[in-house]
Amino acid sequence: MSVQKVGCSRGQQKKVNRKLAKFQHVIKKEAGVNSSPIPTNNLAICNAGLVNGLTEESIFEYFSEFGPLSDILLLPGKSCSFLAYEDVKCAVAAYNALNGKLDIAQYNRPIYLLYVDQLPRLSETTIWDKLPPGLIIINDFISTAEEESLLKLCSFRDQLCGIMKNRLVEHFGFEFRYDINNVDKDKPLSCNVPCETNFLWARLQQTHPEFGQFQPDQLTVNCYSPGQGIPHHVDTHSAFESPIMCLSLASTIVMEFKNEGLHICSLLPRRSLLIMSGESRYNWTHGIVPRKFDVIRNKSAVGFTCLKRETRISFTFRKVLHGDCKCSFKAKCDQMKQNNINGNVAAQLEALHVHEVYENIADHFSDTRHKPWPNVLEFVQSFTYGDILVDVGCGNGKYLGHNKYIFDIGCDRSTGLVDICRGKKVETFITDCLSIPINDQYVDGVISIAVIHHLATEERRLKAIKEMVRILRIGGKGLIYVWAHEQIKNQKKSSYIMQCRKNRKETTLKHLDSSEGRQEVPLPGGIELPVHANRSNFKASDVLVPWKLKDDNKTFLRFYHVFGEHELEKMCQQINNIEIIRSYYDQGNWCISFRRVE
Amino acid sequence: MKLLTHNMLTSKCIRGVSVGYPLIINATEVKVNQTLFNSEFVSKLIPKVDWPVLYNAAESIGHSEDLPKEAPNDFEQNEEFLKKAHRALVEIEVISGNLVCPESGRKFPISNGIPNMLLNEDEF
Repeated sequence: MSVQKVGCSRGQQKKVNRKLAKFQHVIKKEAGVNSSPIPTNNLAICNAGLVNGLTEESIFEYFSEFGPLSDILLLPGKSCSFLAYEDVKCAVAAYNALNGKLDIAQYNRPIYLLYVDQLPRLSETTIWDKLPPGLIIINDFISTAEEESLLKLCSFRDQLCGIMKNRLVEHFGFEFRYDINNVDKDKPLSCNVPCETNFLWARLQQTHPEFGQFQPDQLTVNCYSPGQGIPHHVDTHSAFESPIMCLSLASTIVMEFKNEGLHICSLLPRRSLLIMSGESRYNWTHGIVPRKFDVIRNKSAVGFTCLKRETRISFTFRKVLHGDCKCSFKAKCDQMKQNNINGNVAAQLEALHVHEVYENIADHFSDTRHKPWPNVLEFVQSFTYGDILVDVGCGNGKYLGHNKYIFDIGCDRSTGLVDICRGKKVETFITDCLSIPINDQYVDGVISIAVIHHLATEERRLKAIKEMVRILRIGGKGLIYVWAHEQIKNQKKSSYIMQCRKNRKETTLKHLDSSEGRQEVPLPGGIELPVHANRSNFKASDVLVPWKLKDDNKTFLRFYHVFGEHELEKMCQQINNIEIIRSYYDQGNWCISFRRVE
Repeated sequence: MKLLTHNMLTSKCIRGVSVGYPLIINATEVKVNQTLFNSEFVSKLIPKVDWPVLYNAAESIGHSEDLPKEAPNDFEQNEEFLKKAHRALVEIEVISGNLVCPESGRKFPISNGIPNMLLNEDEF
């Protein structure tokens, strides 16, 4: 990376101008902003952005040389980015010095700059002015003298000092074993948590009596050099109690906290104490991005400052948990009673919470299912004269009868839904998708839209896919849609989420948080499943989703296994007589199209 | 249930049944619904269909009429044949009755034109 300070030849200038003429249209299309023929405070970097690896830090690093920046904007999924100076003169200086010269675009190519009228509007992606529930940061918790004496406690010479991929680690009380993500509770170390740290808890009791009982028996000391970090994680629930305390020594750093679609950044100042309790301890991941600078959003909410990292030593104090974790955040709990859904329980669960429910809601369900999804329709339309297409789990038949050249036939488990199909004069039969009563290699196409997520074990879901493959001719094509765990993708909310009016506004802590209730519903085999709050993001993968009948006030619970990213793909890869044509995300669903091969 | 549907259905999913094909039709009500004829549609279907099974099915419910026992070699050009095939494949419908597994005798009821092929968990 070098900035050529020499002037451009006329030929080079012409080339730059040609590029810029093209980029005017690119930024208009990508970000909806107009370039300005006269200098403004705002610059667009037309050919580098998040998708090609540009970071806030490097923008800050190169552009703050020319004067104070008031904004840096990187757009998710875009290859352009924006910045603003407080003073237009600085923008002009940067423009003249860097345009077509600074090699920080992909493959060390030069970046191209344009003045723009204004920065694109973007809903906030990282939150700087809130903390996760249960998280407390106490600034200046210790003095510099105390900091110095605490630093003397860690030697990094001891045999227990291990070198983690990204940092130095030392343990007291119990060794935290990164291989099992837990402590060996029966094997305490010979070195206890140093008594020189006891004053911390006495002090804490004065300001935060609710943590007065905290008496840690495990201490992990981490040493982070500039450029090092720690991946996002939740401290293993079954290993430690709540709260967890972390003292930052020697340097300030930015820690990130994530839960569902929310992304909070917070400064951990040198000599501050971080307390993670309750939800922040159990349900939010925390991590430190490996980098040498932290770009910090100013308190005034406009502008950035950049903080050069120094070596940071953190003291993480924890209390080893004896007994079971009793948190209420089952989705992230390693001790969540493992739902041992065997085939028999699965069949009962599906009978009660899938089949019976659909019989009860068939009419209302059908009233809400009329608009076919365009990508499914396109697949149906891809078949030609005399092709035979089976819709496995056809519901009210909304994908049948669209292609007049083919013979299409639907089947479903629900008598009520099949009767509705019959009313539409489409051919159907009643079956379970685990045993499709069709001859091997008889049909040219199979679709199964939003069906196999109702099966309660992976074994059954795989069986259903294998049944579809079995009836396909060699060369025949299949399409499967299943509900995705991820209902917010690339910053976009799915239409399922958007159907709730309040979710259309910005992502806020209130609406997408803690929405999965732990309602107790008696289920077959004594298993426990959370009841999902409609129009919200999923937390668990096996959930009960309520269906409210519009007339009477009855609510039915449908079982769903919501699929994680790549889960459907991995299942299909286990089947050796298909090849995957396309694996994609569509409207809150994971989707696979495939071809039957020999 | 159209006879093309019958042509693909099997009861081999039942545990202990090896072929389960073709299913025997006991029809109590049969209807013929005229649908639009398209020669290309029918001629593309013919090679995919088990013709003797289709013929026997039509015969078993008294609708074989002048359907040939075998599909002619020139079926693609034989419009007269394709029309008969069209009628047998997609116009004749069994509205009520039973499908019967040829090996186990298990009955699958047909009502309102819909065969119920559901098996109990312990049958497959």
